[in-house]
Amino acid sequence: MAEEIITLSDVSIGYSKKIIARELTFSVCGNDFIGLVGPNGAGKTTLLKTLLGNIKPISGSIDKKDLRVGYVPQRDTVQPLLPYSVHDIVMMSRYVLMGYFKNPDKLDKEIVEESLQQVGISHLKNFHYNSLSGGQRQRVLIARALAFQPNLLILDEPTNGMDTPSHYSLLNFISNLHKEKHLAIIMVSHLLSDVANYVKKLILIDNGLFQFGEIDELLSEDNLQKAYSSEFTVKKISGEYLITSKDRS
Amino acid sequence: MEAINQLLEIFPYAVLGSILAGIVCSFLGVFVVSQRVVFLGAALTQASIAGVAFSFLHLISIEGFFSSLLGIQLTENSFLHNIEPAFFSMLFAIITVLTFSQTHKQKYFTQDGILGIVFVVAIAIRIMFIQKSPVAEVSEIESILKGDILFIGSKEFYTLLVIAITVISIFILFQKQFKFVIFDPESADAHGMKSKFWLLLFYLVVGIGISLITRFVGDVFTFAYLIIPSSIGIMLGKSVIKVFFISIIVGAILPPISLLLAFKMDFSSGPMAVALAFTIFIFVLTYKKVKGS
Repeated sequence: MAEEIITLSDVSIGYSKKIIARELTFSVCGNDFIGLVGPNGAGKTTLLKTLLGNIKPISGSIDKKDLRVGYVPQRDTVQPLLPYSVHDIVMMSRYVLMGYFKNPDKLDKEIVEESLQQVGISHLKNFHYNSLSGGQRQRVLIARALAFQPNLLILDEPTNGMDTPSHYSLLNFISNLHKEKHLAIIMVSHLLSDVANYVKKLILIDNGLFQFGEIDELLSEDNLQKAYSSEFTVKKISGEYLITSKDRS
Repeated sequence: MEAINQLLEIFPYAVLGSILAGIVCSFLGVFVVSQRVVFLGAALTQASIAGVAFSFLHLISIEGFFSSLLGIQLTENSFLHNIEPAFFSMLFAIITVLTFSQTHKQKYFTQDGILGIVFVVAIAIRIMFIQKSPVAEVSEIESILKGDILFIGSKEFYTLLVIAITVISIFILFQKQFKFVIFDPESADAHGMKSKFWLLLFYLVVGIGISLITRFVGDVFTFAYLIIPSSIGIMLGKSVIKVFFISIIVGAILPPISLLLAFKMDFSSGPMAVALAFTIFIFVLTYKKVKGS
């Protein structure tokens, strides 16, 4: 079993005094691939920001051991007017690791090249970010997070607004990244069906309800009904989950 | 040629000062426009003028404070006489920036809503300050507040030079931090860069720069040269460096040309500089549209 890299103990999250979710207790290990799932407004972003350290927990404690988080935001939040090149953008995460007044050195450039190679966009390094497709932009932001040499990668709704082929291509890519680099990943999504066939563990969050566990434990019809107050059909066909709402009928 | 010689002979510092003001405005403008906070520029220019108007009330004597602190006697042409308007201009700009930097915490206001309020309140209190000023007529103070490129003398020129060197040095020194937090503050924060601190520093430098430039060349010139050269640069530049280069070249070249045109055609220099920049902007926009179609 891999070492725990972040542990939450009895953590309540929220803004000011408004608690969005309480008594969260779970650990993320070095080789975890976790889906953080819940409908819009359920508190996914609040939990994400708490994990990133941007929001302090209202109560409880968070233990991070030499944690370095690479963060991939929703790509719609990044729409530059300036013609930044792909290389410029990937280099940005290295800035944090350099001294205040130092310029990127040979090692920084090598790491950026390597990150671009890992996400398969070396050929785009001199292209303008604005000229890329949605899927390519997402890969640039992933490369930037990888160039930070993280031990935990957090992706916020990485497939949002993508067409179907790009959607599955990106999910397969993230899954391979986890397998090949043995990198701990937390992937946020509002669609359960999106992450169910890729991740090993789930965090379900909705209306103050919080569940964390192995995917097989959480993806039962009874449990989903409890979590979402709605009935679901869960089938496993050729090892793949198929989750549909009974409300559709 | 004769007009150029005359202009250089009579207003040498105005020509050089206008170039410096254009460079600083267009340089800061690239950040302001790319950060999508154009209206901050408008609010800052008005807040700066309100600050200068406040200094004419002589309610708080900064000159007296500094002269007693330094143990010097103030004379009619003392340099300290120039500090008071600049001090209040900066103070009002800093208050605007600090207010703006807190807007993300507000539930009931948008950023542009708050800037709109600052903008209109700054104009209102400026008028009220001027009406209660004991030192001169309203129209006289209004013309002083509006600034004029032609009034740039040696003192103003060297002050502008210091502003230009300071502002550009700060941005070069912290270019990595500003680049990341302006491009993507959320990720910068997530990767351990204190984006709130760097954005506040960014806004403070922009605010102080704009307030001081406004004091010398007026609000119309300052706001126009924040927006227009950088917009031209963004339209034409194929890389970030080229955007800065084009913006700065446009910002540096147009003010002295407009001074010459204003001198020859008997117009005010500030509005002429804006009209010329706008003409170039329309020309570039048309070129881009035609080329793109």
